[in-house]
Amino acid sequence: MDFAISSILFYAFAAMALICACCVIFASNPVTSAMSMALCFAATAAVLFGMGAQFLGIVQIIVYAGAILVLFLFVVMMLDIKTEEEDNSFSVWHSLLRMAPGVLVAGVFGAMVFLAAIKLPGATEWNNPLCRAWNAMSELCVGKQEPTAQAQACDFGGALPALNPAAAAKMLNPEISQQDAAAATSIPDTKLLGQRLFSQYNIAFVILSFALLAGTVGAVALSRKISKD
Amino acid sequence: MSLFDTIWNWCVDLLSNEIWFYLITTVVKLVLMFAVILAFVGLSVWIERRVAGWIQDRPGPNRAGIPLQLFRQFGSKEKQPLKEWLHFFGIPETCWIAKLCTWLRLDREIPTFGLMQPCLDGGKLFLKQELTPSYVRKIYFTIAPMLVLGPPMVAAAVIPFASGVTTKFGDINMVVANIGIGPLWIFAISGLSVYGLTLAGWSSNSKYPFLGGLRATAQLISYEVAMGLSIIPLLMMFSTLNMQDIVQYQADNGWTLLPLWGEGLSWQRWAMLLPLGISFIIFVTCVFAEANRTPFDMAECETDLVGGYHSEYSSMKFASFFMGEYAAMVIGSALVVTLFLGGWSIGFGADAALHSICSWLAVFCQFIMFLIKLVAFVVFFVWVRWTLPRFRWDQVMKLGWLVFLELAVANIFLTAAVLYFIK
Repeated sequence: MDFAISSILFYAFAAMALICACCVIFASNPVTSAMSMALCFAATAAVLFGMGAQFLGIVQIIVYAGAILVLFLFVVMMLDIKTEEEDNSFSVWHSLLRMAPGVLVAGVFGAMVFLAAIKLPGATEWNNPLCRAWNAMSELCVGKQEPTAQAQACDFGGALPALNPAAAAKMLNPEISQQDAAAATSIPDTKLLGQRLFSQYNIAFVILSFALLAGTVGAVALSRKISKD
Repeated sequence: MSLFDTIWNWCVDLLSNEIWFYLITTVVKLVLMFAVILAFVGLSVWIERRVAGWIQDRPGPNRAGIPLQLFRQFGSKEKQPLKEWLHFFGIPETCWIAKLCTWLRLDREIPTFGLMQPCLDGGKLFLKQELTPSYVRKIYFTIAPMLVLGPPMVAAAVIPFASGVTTKFGDINMVVANIGIGPLWIFAISGLSVYGLTLAGWSSNSKYPFLGGLRATAQLISYEVAMGLSIIPLLMMFSTLNMQDIVQYQADNGWTLLPLWGEGLSWQRWAMLLPLGISFIIFVTCVFAEANRTPFDMAECETDLVGGYHSEYSSMKFASFFMGEYAAMVIGSALVVTLFLGGWSIGFGADAALHSICSWLAVFCQFIMFLIKLVAFVVFFVWVRWTLPRFRWDQVMKLGWLVFLELAVANIFLTAAVLYFIK
């Protein structure tokens, strides 16, 4: 079975993201945890890049790795938390009790993802996993997929790498003209995402913006110096 | 069939395959971009010192050349090569040509105007003893300089340095990665260098570097916000995030700040100059802050902080921080040039005219034009450094959060209003 480079990169970055996510939990040094989290975000961004959602990937890096996590690091360093000490008072019930909330949250999230995935078109075609993913992606319309590329991708590994999409489109369908091949790949996902966000999900977007604004105003109000008189 | 033909045919075959063509051209562009950035890092150090000398009314490093002494060691018997040459051409030694040559120090060295200085500095830093204090956190102490130097190099991938050419094998676009999110890519990747500064300060395990690292973090995060918001008016006008398209538009219709040809002559474009001018001022100031340069070099303010986040570093690790700073400066200049000053475009319709003659000539001229603009902006960077005194820490924070952020947000609404009413 021959693998497409995009598939190999996808699995490599997905594995990296998972390993880094585990490091966040298991690292004894809080700074190491924070840096693993940064790597995890970078790997997630790389996965998004590979799927053609460049804008989402770069926002992941700008917002999470570039801003939020730096603030985490800032706080962790300022507090200078010492390396976590081993808990000697080991009790089965204690550790089970500590694990319960985590398991609960993970279970709820897992169920949500599963329910969302099973509703997607083609989700019940169990024999061809990648086809399902491609169908799901084209349905979500984050990146536009040409029908030929989609059909080819269903044969796992048959597709050409997404290295140069124009070349890929040409190789998949030799009759396609150079212009068509270029045009098929030149739709910026920023535009697609913006259209979807500001039309279909406009109300949710506005409500979220107001929530963030309220948070900002609250932060300013809390951090304001209260005058003595 | 000769050997040459065989090799030639093999190359043609290789280039005819679209994947190989894409890979080979990308690698060539990548190497070129890297070479330009690294050469500019060295060159900007030299520019910095020469311009500083000029501003402070002293020569600066103008001496380091290639001494002729060196050639004598390799077998040249002549004690004074200049005299020999003058005798050879029959020029008297008191003639003005001889005097000029002596004034240019041609009798002692091959003149390089001090351009050898960065090479020698680099060599010195390489050969210095590397001292790692025993109390540092070793792993983070080692990776911190890499995290400062790496991001600017990666960020350079989306900067276009010439327009495209069409060869018989396919189109070549003179940008390493022609992705639809150009400026955002640069913000994201160069924003990552804040990790290097923070970790350097923290891992040094010492008071002043730590304060330097914290300052760097706070400053970079603050100015990133205003920087991102300040280019939104520009994107509203171009309505694309692709850098190559942005520059192409400027080549056809006038640079952002100099609309003198094409559509740029319309009064609508001139009305846009007000919001664009405001965003230019905010953006350039934020680039200064992001590159950690005076007047914003809070993180290495030696009057408060000994040496800042790199106090504990020595040798090549110390040099990496400086190279990272200069690389960030070069990338910042390239970004400003690309967004506001026309990138590679020569202007006044010369791009299209050159393209109609020969695309490769056009590409070459555009590349030279890009380098000229880059040098000019680097000189501007240096000029500002040696003109303005350093801000105080609270002033920097106030300027970022209370002036630039509000101004950038207001500017977005102003641009929207202008675009709405002039249509």
